Amino acid sequence: MNAPARGEHPEPPLLALHGVRAAYGRIEVVHGIDLELPAGSVFALLGPNGAGKSTTLAVCCGLMVPTSGSVWLAGRKINGASPDQLARAGVCTIPEGRSVVPNLTVRENLQMMTYVGVSLRDVEEVAYARFPRLGERRTQLAGTMSGGEQQMLAMARGLATDPALLLLDELSMGLAPLIVEELYGIVAQIAAEGVSILVVEQFAHSVLEVADTAAIMLHGRITRVGPPHEIEDELSAAYLGA
Amino acid sequence: MEPTPTNPRIDQFRSDVAELDIKTPADSGERTYLIIGIVLMVVGGLLVFAGYWGASGTAIVAEQIPFMLSGGFLGVGVMLVGAAMFVRYSLSRYLRFWLIRTIYEERTQSDKVVESLASIEALLRDANRIGVDADRT
Repeated sequence: MNAPARGEHPEPPLLALHGVRAAYGRIEVVHGIDLELPAGSVFALLGPNGAGKSTTLAVCCGLMVPTSGSVWLAGRKINGASPDQLARAGVCTIPEGRSVVPNLTVRENLQMMTYVGVSLRDVEEVAYARFPRLGERRTQLAGTMSGGEQQMLAMARGLATDPALLLLDELSMGLAPLIVEELYGIVAQIAAEGVSILVVEQFAHSVLEVADTAAIMLHGRITRVGPPHEIEDELSAAYLGA
Repeated sequence: MEPTPTNPRIDQFRSDVAELDIKTPADSGERTYLIIGIVLMVVGGLLVFAGYWGASGTAIVAEQIPFMLSGGFLGVGVMLVGAAMFVRYSLSRYLRFWLIRTIYEERTQSDKVVESLASIEALLRDANRIGVDADRT
């Protein structure tokens, strides 16, 4: 099988899914989706709860092997690559629900990322430069911080690995709209630096402001792909099943 | 936002991905082995029965020995292999489901405990406030 879209673009998309199906045991939740994320762009995958968005993300980061179809990363088919191989190459996943260790301090949480071979000093420098608020709270237990700060810490930890592809799952979950806006501002900055980003979201407004392309996913299928402003108009109708 | 294909990080990523040593995911074949186990048990049983059938047809011990060997011993052997495969593959499936179930139950229970503690805390706070108000009046 050849790399997708090779004839049309000089460079293949950084991430591409072709006819991907994924299942938990016998229950298939993703029914053959196609998706392409060019280098340096932001793709927003939107859909209601249970649409298969997080499963799609799990397929992209190697946590799940698709039952059929293919996952392509930078022009290479990577079906079956382990999550740690992909993480080492530069795929960073920030799962939903603020994946910080609550009984460790901010600094200790960041220290966890030194396993990739970066010194704690460098990790801290990058993290505090991007999220000054974390610098003020470096000795505070992560579990005692606000939801937004915990999400910032999760992002800072992910970004310490210098990712090329960032997979964000429900960044806005349980956060106040202002905080969400602030976080998506940071996502836009990260994208401007050339990192490709696939964002999965249930509630969409802020993410559409920073996305280059958006797609609606319903019942395990991508029903619509297009520019964010067009998708925003169709979103509520899609959610309500109109 | 303009795509930045010349970004050195992206180039590095492309070469890192190209160098990945990806092994095709091994089909665990659990279900297949489970079915093979069941089939072997049935075949073993049939062999034992065939051995018994053949041996019972003659009163001469020398003629019974081949039936005992090919029917009895081989049949029992095949049954044991089949049973071992069945236990091995059904048990791992069961244990996996059991583990997931346990984790799920545990999470639900801790959510319930947290919820109950929060409502107890709220009730105590209310009771305390009512007590203070009563003392004042």
